[in-house]
Amino acid sequence: MKKHKIKNQIRRLRFEANEMTQAELAEKASVTRQTIIALEAQKYSPSLELAFRIAKVFDVPLEAAFQYN
Amino acid sequence: MNYLNNYSNRELNIWAELILNVVVSFYFIPKIFPLIINGQLYGEALIDIIATSIIISIIYSVSVFGSINIFIKKEDKDERDYTFELKSYRMSNIISQVSIYLLIGLIIFYPINRVRLTELMSPPMIAMLLFIIALFSSTVKSVNQLYYYRKNT
Repeated sequence: MKKHKIKNQIRRLRFEANEMTQAELAEKASVTRQTIIALEAQKYSPSLELAFRIAKVFDVPLEAAFQYN
Repeated sequence: MNYLNNYSNRELNIWAELILNVVVSFYFIPKIFPLIINGQLYGEALIDIIATSIIISIIYSVSVFGSINIFIKKEDKDERDYTFELKSYRMSNIISQVSIYLLIGLIIFYPINRVRLTELMSPPMIAMLLFIIALFSSTVKSVNQLYYYRKNT
């Protein structure tokens, strides 16, 4: 199975943001809930634009939300 | 009915498309081969079968795709959907192209009992083969798309 090298802290950031639901994050980042599920399971690497959008939702720098291993 | 919640509207639509392809294949293919006699396909009967296939497809599409879109919330496509769609269409496109080139090669170069297939291939026969290629590549596209969705969920 292909290992995704981009790791993310989305689940932790959601809980720190007043336990934001996956659906709420999906709506704010303009993606489907399935994409958020796949991202949290580290099974999908987002585009640069989506990564920036998600970081902006949590108001954190990109590298706080996504790390490249 | 509860397990359907594990699937998005898009995935259910792909499943429905796949089932439609299988239903049409099971209806179309067993009926078409008996019509091939001495390498010739009888065109008049083919028209009935294609017409029935189209009617089945329309009834199925209206009822099944309609129900899915009524009962399961529809979401806009995002980058992940587009990525999976592109990968699947790429595979489907490769299969159609290779099949069509093989068909062309077969028609032009491959002689059977010293009779070139050009003389055996009537327009209905070519139409049937193209229809089967289209059905097959569409099935591969749906299976591929479902594979990506399930693998990455």
